[in-house]
Amino acid sequence: MVGLIGRLWNLQYKSIVKEASGKTLAVAKFFCVLHITNTYLCTFALAYGPSMIPTFNLTGDMFLAERLSIKFGKVGPGDIVLLRSPESPRKVMVKRLLGLESHSVTYVVDPMNSDRCDTIVVPKGHVWVEGDNIYNSRDSRQFGPVPYSLLEGKVFCKIWPPKEFGSLMKSGMKDPDL
Amino acid sequence: MRLLSYMGQWKSAAKEVLDRTAIVAKFLCLLHVTNNYLCSPTLVYGPSMLPTLNLTGDVVLAEHVSHRIGKVGTGDVVLVRSPVDPRRILTKRVVGMEGDTVSFYVDPMYSQTTVVPKGHVWIQGDNTYASSDSRHFGSVPYGLIQGKVFFRVWPPDGFGTLEQ
Repeated sequence: MVGLIGRLWNLQYKSIVKEASGKTLAVAKFFCVLHITNTYLCTFALAYGPSMIPTFNLTGDMFLAERLSIKFGKVGPGDIVLLRSPESPRKVMVKRLLGLESHSVTYVVDPMNSDRCDTIVVPKGHVWVEGDNIYNSRDSRQFGPVPYSLLEGKVFCKIWPPKEFGSLMKSGMKDPDL
Repeated sequence: MRLLSYMGQWKSAAKEVLDRTAIVAKFLCLLHVTNNYLCSPTLVYGPSMLPTLNLTGDVVLAEHVSHRIGKVGTGDVVLVRSPVDPRRILTKRVVGMEGDTVSFYVDPMYSQTTVVPKGHVWIQGDNTYASSDSRHFGSVPYGLIQGKVFFRVWPPDGFGTLEQ
């Protein structure tokens, strides 16, 4: 009698475990697909901070960034890019790309205090990034040109706040050819 | 009538093909995840790490966990994406972390000292006579480190951990 109950309990237990592991596997597969999409296709991110005003707000905008352009070398001056910070490896920042390798970039060194401009030729394998709000942005003017491999994505569409939904225009203020 | 039976056969064959493809795809995914986030074998070649690594090529195991948790330090042999050519991965030794003072010889009589800036590392090949490294392109952002080499698999007489 006890043996029979024991065997019935075993059977139930086995089926519960089987169902649980089946569901866990399905969830794990879903997260894998999500992760692959995030890392190799398209990801969304929240950008906050003053360095990209007026393109992105101070308190935070959500946007979509795609990862294929970087891998195929299809980014150019004027694009907004996601890049890993060369000063804090765990931070990812959003800036505008102003110059690729061997481009000549002219920038205002310290717009709060003076009007002095400087010109630099971007070395091989590097890019020059600047925030749209040059008065309050820590970018290539402080830490120099950034190796191309630190680029992680190209921003192509803003999704929050809803009244600013849509693709991002190339900034009219920063003509990289000037 | 025969058309229906052909369609049925075709359907079952297509289902079998899809199942097999799914198994292969899942295996490749697992291989890819292991290679990128755990451990991967790599062929390294070139003269810049003599005598630690051979000229003609060694297969080494590199783990991809340490650099994500910040456990890469001075003396480690690392795989680094080249700051000069984004498509190349270099194998060099970390000689200085951020904040360290590094001295190096630009030419046999003139030595220079620099402080490694925040978020960067200074890498040098063991064979300083034939290595293009931080002495030429400066310190490298930590984010370019791809993995840490800890074991050599080929050639068999070099099997084992790398000497310091």
